[in-house]
Amino acid sequence: MMKTKGRSLTSRLTNPKYIMVYATVGIFLIIYLFGALAYGDKGFTTLRTFMNMFIDNAYYGISAVGMTMVLITGGIDLSVGAVASLTGMFIAYGTSVLGLHPLVCIAFSLVVGVGLGLLMGWVIHYLNVPPFITTLTGMFLARGVCSLISRESIEIKHPMMDALAGWKIYFMKLQDGEWVRIRPSAFINFNVIVFVVMIIIGTVILQKTRFGRNIYAIGGNEQSAKLMGLPVGRTKVLVYGFNGLCSVLAGVTYALYVKSGWNLSLQGAELDVITCAVIGGTLLTGGVGYMIGTLFGVLLKSIIPALITFNGNLLSWWGKIATGLLLLLFICIQKIVVNATGRKKEKKPAVKN
Amino acid sequence: MKKRFDISSLMRSKLTWAVVAEALILLVCLIVRPDFFKISYQPSTGMLYGNLIDIVNRSSEITIIAMGMTMVIALGGTDLSVGALVAVAGAIALKFMRWDVTVYNTPGDYTVYPFVLAIVVPLLVCIAMGLFNGLLIAKGGMQPIIATLILMVCGRGIAQIVTNGKQFTTGYSPFRVIGQGSMFFLPTPIVITVIVIVCVSLFVRKTAFGTFVEAVGVNRSAARLSGINAQMVIFIVFALTGFLSGISGLIYSSRIMSNDSNNAGLNYEMDAILAVVIGGTSMTGGKFSLAGTVLGSIIIRTIVTLVYYFGIASEATMAFKAVIIAVVIVLQSEPVREAFAKRTRARSQLAGGGAVK
Repeated sequence: MMKTKGRSLTSRLTNPKYIMVYATVGIFLIIYLFGALAYGDKGFTTLRTFMNMFIDNAYYGISAVGMTMVLITGGIDLSVGAVASLTGMFIAYGTSVLGLHPLVCIAFSLVVGVGLGLLMGWVIHYLNVPPFITTLTGMFLARGVCSLISRESIEIKHPMMDALAGWKIYFMKLQDGEWVRIRPSAFINFNVIVFVVMIIIGTVILQKTRFGRNIYAIGGNEQSAKLMGLPVGRTKVLVYGFNGLCSVLAGVTYALYVKSGWNLSLQGAELDVITCAVIGGTLLTGGVGYMIGTLFGVLLKSIIPALITFNGNLLSWWGKIATGLLLLLFICIQKIVVNATGRKKEKKPAVKN
Repeated sequence: MKKRFDISSLMRSKLTWAVVAEALILLVCLIVRPDFFKISYQPSTGMLYGNLIDIVNRSSEITIIAMGMTMVIALGGTDLSVGALVAVAGAIALKFMRWDVTVYNTPGDYTVYPFVLAIVVPLLVCIAMGLFNGLLIAKGGMQPIIATLILMVCGRGIAQIVTNGKQFTTGYSPFRVIGQGSMFFLPTPIVITVIVIVCVSLFVRKTAFGTFVEAVGVNRSAARLSGINAQMVIFIVFALTGFLSGISGLIYSSRIMSNDSNNAGLNYEMDAILAVVIGGTSMTGGKFSLAGTVLGSIIIRTIVTLVYYFGIASEATMAFKAVIIAVVIVLQSEPVREAFAKRTRARSQLAGGGAVK
């Protein structure tokens, strides 16, 4: 009994569909090991550095959860950065100028963000407009509304937002029967918790629900999914709606991170988020992708700036080039994997005959 | 023969919406500012001035890029790297012409390297980058959107490295002519744009190349089987788009007489793609319309001009752009056009029935 269970687990883990996820994890470990060897004495291996990667990129990660789903359906969403920026703007303007409670602002942002997502999904599916163009228009709209609200950065000052932004859980260790903070102190904050929760929710939706199966089916082949009687339209609209929700949450966490709203914040973030998903093993052609891969994609993207900071001599724009090269590497790996599995499939009937 | 006519009329109907949109925007402009269409001649600069001239002048960067983008989209792809290439071209050009603090105190009328280098090298580098995109797509078999994403992410970094993160300025007058000078009473960018449009149209429509592009865009394998060198077509299209981005980059940096690696060409890829789509070229590939693209680019610029007239912040133009583009795209979308076609058909049938009675 135990043996069969173990075998099924190993066979499940060695499934070729996870190759891209393993590649992401492997390359992350290699780069981390390199960092540990090169800058270990400067504190690269400390828990603090590792947790900072989560803290500094939580908003990217949250957005990447929704983006992964959109990419799996074979679509794309370019509006995430602008919607997140708009959320920050709503919170900043609402609390600082209108004197509203942040929760009211967040609720309003949720209505706007999810509403825009659903609308874009509806246009994409029912009006047959390409996702790229639809979401690009959504991005222009959200960014333009940001600028209509204010062209200057607005500070967020509200007891609740301050409390949320300042809330931290320190990592403790038992020393002489007493709990003390580990040194150098490492902590997680509200943003990291939201990030991790969203990754878990995303995993459950994708792997354990009918909705998740529909997402994969649509990405694999939309025509077949339709012929199988799956609710293609509803699923696609809901995926864009869910992505709108993720964008708003990303905007809330970004607002907590920088404690201000600015109409030009998070410019170009949509492509960073897509990059995270792609180096996490999601195929832009749709049908393939895992949340755990996206998680490591976010970590992989955040480790490059960390390495550059630890080096101290390199200029920050090397980070862009390194990210681009990483992207190239992953696309090449994907291509090789897809080709290899495709050839295997082609060979099979030949052997049978 | 009849089927062919149907397709062309379909294309025309898509273009019609673009023309109607442009006419409506211009009409609003006219209502807001009655002297909108006034064009005056300034003898001192030998240039015509006026809002219409300004719209065409300012749209030239996007129009030039969109010429190449039209063919990329006709192939069924998108080129996201054009904005970054604009930044790279500007950075390299200014690297050759930079104002050297150690020699002069003010940016003067001189160049460090020969002017030819400052023009040719950026264009060659942009062609090379376009070829790199083409290599990944044609030989590597990657999706265009993701293959060009690489250079989009890298490109601005490369531009920063070329200039070592500095912003150079120059006062070299031959360079100023590209973006701010005049030729045949028109601003030079317009003249350059017209030359580009004519050259690309001749190349595409007077040779078989345009048909090759459409064939590859509709079905790459079928095109290959019918004897078209699909890889070569992809290479040429992406190299051409790179080259045109380079020209656009030179115009942009000549306008500001400086390089700006962070903001040069920002969102140009988006604007160029929008121009193509508004012009009636479908993102699924196949048929394309260069005239539609030019019109699309001018529509985008007219919207921006209109918003300026209302005295609204420049960043907020995006919202208006979005609304107008959304209307155009929804009107152009298949279900809506079909619904329109059905209604007109039904009406004509009704009218016909009435006549019989």
